Amino acid sequence: MRQVDSIDGQELREMFAAATDWLEKSVSDIDALNVFPVPDGDCGTNMLLTMRSSIEDAYRAPDRSASAVAQAMAKGALMGARGNSGVILSQIWRGMAESLDGKESFTGSDLADALLQASTMAYKGLSNPVEGTILTVVREASSAAQTQAASGGDVISIMEATVSAANESVANTPTLLPVLREAGVVDAGGQGLYTILEGALHYLKGEIEKMQFRKPLIIASSIPLVARLPQMVAAEEVPYGYCTEFLLKGEGLNPDKLSQKLKKKGQSLIVVGDESTIRVHIHTLDPGNVIHYATSLATLHQVSIRNMDEQHQGFLEMQKERAPAVDIATVAVASGDGLSDVFASLGAAAIVPGGQTMNPSTKDLLQAVELVATDKVIILPNNKNIVLTAEQVHSLTTKSIEVVPTETIPQGIAALLAFDYEADFETNTKIMRKAKSAVKSIEVTRAVRSTQLNGLKIKKKQAIGFLDGNLVAVGDHANDVLNEALAKLNLDETEVITIYYGADTKPTEAEQISTSIREQHPQLQIEVVRGGQPHYNYIVSIE
Amino acid sequence: MAVKIVTDSLSDITSDIAQGLGITVVPLTVSFGRESFLDRVTMTTDEFYYKLTHDATWPTTTQPPPGDFINIFNKLAEETDEILVITLSSKLSGTYQSVLNAKDIFEGKCRIEVIDSLTVAMGLGLIAIAAAKAAQAGANLDEVTDLVRRAMPRSHLIAYFDTLKYLAKGGRIGKAQGLLGAMLSIRPILTVKDGEMSPVTRLRSRAAGMDYLYNFVAGFSHIEELAVEHATTPDDADKLIERLGSLFPKERIYGSTISPVVGTYAGPGAMAVSVLEAESK
Repeated sequence: MRQVDSIDGQELREMFAAATDWLEKSVSDIDALNVFPVPDGDCGTNMLLTMRSSIEDAYRAPDRSASAVAQAMAKGALMGARGNSGVILSQIWRGMAESLDGKESFTGSDLADALLQASTMAYKGLSNPVEGTILTVVREASSAAQTQAASGGDVISIMEATVSAANESVANTPTLLPVLREAGVVDAGGQGLYTILEGALHYLKGEIEKMQFRKPLIIASSIPLVARLPQMVAAEEVPYGYCTEFLLKGEGLNPDKLSQKLKKKGQSLIVVGDESTIRVHIHTLDPGNVIHYATSLATLHQVSIRNMDEQHQGFLEMQKERAPAVDIATVAVASGDGLSDVFASLGAAAIVPGGQTMNPSTKDLLQAVELVATDKVIILPNNKNIVLTAEQVHSLTTKSIEVVPTETIPQGIAALLAFDYEADFETNTKIMRKAKSAVKSIEVTRAVRSTQLNGLKIKKKQAIGFLDGNLVAVGDHANDVLNEALAKLNLDETEVITIYYGADTKPTEAEQISTSIREQHPQLQIEVVRGGQPHYNYIVSIE
Repeated sequence: MAVKIVTDSLSDITSDIAQGLGITVVPLTVSFGRESFLDRVTMTTDEFYYKLTHDATWPTTTQPPPGDFINIFNKLAEETDEILVITLSSKLSGTYQSVLNAKDIFEGKCRIEVIDSLTVAMGLGLIAIAAAKAAQAGANLDEVTDLVRRAMPRSHLIAYFDTLKYLAKGGRIGKAQGLLGAMLSIRPILTVKDGEMSPVTRLRSRAAGMDYLYNFVAGFSHIEELAVEHATTPDDADKLIERLGSLFPKERIYGSTISPVVGTYAGPGAMAVSVLEAESK
């Protein structure tokens, strides 16, 4: 096993030069992850350009000490920093350089200290630090380095602990930042930092050759992807404005004061630097105002103003290319967050809230149809009473509409599942109609009044069970009613049973029923999913 | 001198078929951590799936180095002056690039053509088989190359996966990404489209998967070659072949196993069917 006890300036430079090459390999993947703070898809590129500028300066360091090289890298990063993540990266380098100041070379424990300082500096650069970003990753990684350093170890072992903690931290970013969760991605800046650290570790381990033939790992989100609903996108559609960046050079500059002044002028503000050089990054609707103020303080350099709405469009195009090339969208009616998630996860482009007691209007459906990106739309009404409403949409839009008349949630899910990515609009409609008929549905709900139906006497609030819309069972307990309804079916010919339990039903009750079915029919594949639907204790699909 | 056909181990061409038709199969390397194996040479497919399901380390696969191809070119050059190499999709592996490099370096007198099949498994295997049959019948390099290019759009591969677990772990799934994150356990049907794995549809049970594979084959009116492959379920493969016997002579159906590289994503329990459609006259 290779061991590295200390690193001098030259090795520091080579190590991060290799890391920069490593980063370059996944730039486009990182760009594609970019959804925060603005989904403009340039995070990887920005980090790469920042690292390049940093490494270029490293070659201009006055001597080969770790101190001099780190200083040069920090300066280079500051001068060349691009975008949010680039500026934060330059702060990380600044922290490293401060900690390594005066050192000819550094050990594993020096590295751990430098990383800690880097993390502190990264947070300091932001007026409003957000967790679930590169900041969290640098903090958690540096803390792992500290822990490892406490029990000793060479530079490699410290770096290994750092990289492994960074990996976990990146995977966890979607749990901290909702916008990542909705997009089903990890934080791009955090991923970029992880890739840089991983590249440095490969170099330390002498794996230069291996790096030539490999590509960096893009970390998968620790929580599953749920498609973002178009409704939500539409509601949040505010202009992103201009990404405004520049470098201020002068004397007696005060970054803190400048940061205070600019705070109200926009979002994602980062002000970093010292008395003679300050780098500013801000997202603002009025870049002129910001620039005007800055020119009154010192001279301006490297001014860059980019229209982020334009970038965002480009990003959306890029995302489109990555998604399966499907020109047919599906609009589904469902109520309950669980059921909505199920439909979204299976590829429904829009979910219109509604069901038995709250039928959506034609207008609601039309709105969803107009909102989805494609010209061909399939509507899944998922309720008998909504089928007719759905058929009205056809005459109100120029888009091509097909209604697959699903009368229950299980029919809708079966139809959506059967969607064929390779087939055309007409064929898909046929496939989905066929799939809908292959499934049986049981719904268990509570009677709203006392009545007599199908020869069954029903008291108000009793549990009642429907098999494909026909009343088949009545009882005091929802579980008993479900069992009775299931008994009407020949389960020996069944393969899969999926139980969606409602908002008012306890998961343990749902588990109980699945256990009892499993005992009686061990060959069945039974799944219990939280549907979260109102009114219905159970919606069950039998395939 | 007959044209020699070379392909890689991802074609899923078994040694029996290879010997019978004179096809040279170049193995890719499969590694679990520091242990490396030559696909189907130093590790059987059974051993691979056992390790995939029992080993904590995630396997990686590596294309054959150009040197392997140069060695093969040198050896084949003793008996022929025309070689055709058909590789798996360049979007799934660097093998195609490796062969191109080998062709550049190779100094022998052979004429070598290299084709990126844009498919994998028996989708590739059936193309290589058709090429080998033509070569045996005396076609020259240009004729066989032309035949392969015309066969490519007629080769259709479809695969059933028992689980999305391995696909999700592997990451390199192209457009099949859309299948991930489903909240129900689903069994995907995938194909290879434009050289990449691409989703076709989703099913809820294995039995439905077998029906889907059967119906897929039933959708073709003129079949030239047919192959059935499995990962870990030879009995299911036999049953499917038996069933397909009503559509195509059973004894002409090629049976094979899904190679480790695809298996890394497909996982145990996967099945695949490949059809080489007959050329319309």
